Amino acid sequence: MNPAIGYIAIVGVALVSALIGFYGLRVSRTTSDFYVASRTVRPWWNASAIGGEYLSAASFLGVAGLILLTGSAALWFPIGYTGGYLMLLLFVAAPLRRSGAYTIPDFTEARLESQWARRVTSLLVIVIGWFYIVPQLQGAALTVRITTGLPSWAGALAVAVLVAVVVAAGGMRSITFVQAFQFWLKLTALALPVVALLLVVGGGEPPAQLSPAEAFPVSAGPGDLDVYRTVSLMVALLLGTLGLPHVLVRFYTNPDGVAARRTTVIVLVLLSVFYVFPTVFGFLGRAFAPDLAASGEADALILLLPDRLVPGPLGDVLTALVIAGAFGAFLSTSSGLVVSLAGVISQDLLGGSVRGFRIAAIVSTIVPLLVALATESSGLAGSVGLVFAFTASTLCPMLILGIWWRGLTSRGAIAGMLTGAVLSGAAILGGPLVAASVPFIAPFLEQPAAWTVPLAVIVTVAVSRLDRRGTPAGTDAFLTRLHVPERR
Amino acid sequence: MSDSPTPPPRVRVTAPRSAGAATSARTLRPSGTDDPAGDIAAVYVRSLIRSQLRLAITVAVGFAVATLLFVLAIAFVPGLDDTYLAGVPVSWVLLGAGIYPLVITVGALYLRAAGRNEARYRSLTEDE
Repeated sequence: MNPAIGYIAIVGVALVSALIGFYGLRVSRTTSDFYVASRTVRPWWNASAIGGEYLSAASFLGVAGLILLTGSAALWFPIGYTGGYLMLLLFVAAPLRRSGAYTIPDFTEARLESQWARRVTSLLVIVIGWFYIVPQLQGAALTVRITTGLPSWAGALAVAVLVAVVVAAGGMRSITFVQAFQFWLKLTALALPVVALLLVVGGGEPPAQLSPAEAFPVSAGPGDLDVYRTVSLMVALLLGTLGLPHVLVRFYTNPDGVAARRTTVIVLVLLSVFYVFPTVFGFLGRAFAPDLAASGEADALILLLPDRLVPGPLGDVLTALVIAGAFGAFLSTSSGLVVSLAGVISQDLLGGSVRGFRIAAIVSTIVPLLVALATESSGLAGSVGLVFAFTASTLCPMLILGIWWRGLTSRGAIAGMLTGAVLSGAAILGGPLVAASVPFIAPFLEQPAAWTVPLAVIVTVAVSRLDRRGTPAGTDAFLTRLHVPERR
Repeated sequence: MSDSPTPPPRVRVTAPRSAGAATSARTLRPSGTDDPAGDIAAVYVRSLIRSQLRLAITVAVGFAVATLLFVLAIAFVPGLDDTYLAGVPVSWVLLGAGIYPLVITVGALYLRAAGRNEARYRSLTEDE
């Protein structure tokens, strides 16, 4: 591959993102502008921005890579990533917007009237955010290494620096513009190459490397379903989306609860359209580039396939497009995460000033950068799936019960969040060590959500019931605020 | 979508820290036991919350059951693995594309039903 294409695409996306970010800076002046874009963002803009922020390295590169690697089991990932927004619509969207809080820790404190519950939530938000940024930076490292030949650390460092600068300079108002732009960039960057590749392949040249029966064996097909793993993955993805800090903070920018619901339905449409394209890429990969699965470069499928199937200048243009889209994915998800992390860190530790937000933005980028540089990626879609499992086991029970059950107390919430964090954290981190010696529990450790989420819920409910201090004094008023529609 | 051409006025959102949200909520709608009007208001709110929760759970369970049936159909309807659409088995195409229309339909239905619940609450409370 010609390295010049990689440089041009990466520098182009970086420049455009930075320009839009700084343009936004001119209209972003007050503290509230910085945090939630003053709540005047329209549903279509907001939905595009949510899509732009949500579609990360896992969606852009990881889904196609996993379809190539494992077959139809991977098709559950985009289903879960989309279905998560359905759960968000049903249980969280409108009440959360009406809560009047800026961040998840703000919500926890307002609902439970407890500084300790707030601190535990803040800590979890920060941990989740950091571990979600790591795969983005690893995706950037992979992209830069494959497309330009530079060492891996250069890609991770470039994304980290750009994100820290844009977020520290502009805050969320500018980020809303950047994110909305990123969604349409990512969609175009996959859709055009897919159409071009299908036209080329439809002409019969080059011929597929495998026959359809070899490329799509029944043994990797939808009929051969690992029930436990699939169910557990769906629990993680459907419920994990509820608790993702960068997704939640975006809902505060809707004008009211009804707009928050409308935004979410638009997001469902946008995601459904988007995921057609990585899926087609994965299918093409199984027939035309099966060797990438063997060489451990499955996540690079989308970057390499256009050049393989379409030689010459058209192939170069398509390659530049997918590189730009991939880089956009790393930038948008990382910056969304850094905005929400910086919001939490600056409010809890630095007094909530604009200067504190800037310092926090830089801190929120450095830690995941160090982790990404120290570790190797083991499949982008898989590692993001584990972050979803952790989120589903910790923040999701607290949020859903906090919104719908008046009996939740601060002790119950803290106990449930810690239970979920310890169990799912131990399964994710310790799983690889134990699974090798005791194979039959391996699925339960590799996909823990199906048992850690129910346990976290049970502990939350049980401790809340036993809590003699009872529910906080303002619970009824707060629930009223969450569910009663705004005055027209 | 009922978007008006002019954007709404910018709202300054204040007090990022502490229980500002909770305290302002407390003054919003008092529900003291000495106040019969407040009691009725509280009953209306509880019934709104219950109907919204029942709706959300019904929709979520419906989505899960529909997905399950769809997956079972893909697995057990014979011939889907050997029938090819543009070189891809129909079973793979269905799993890859079939659930998204369901998600969107379910989401749109919920949007309307949740709006109806809120309209009912409004008509009950605005009569007084």
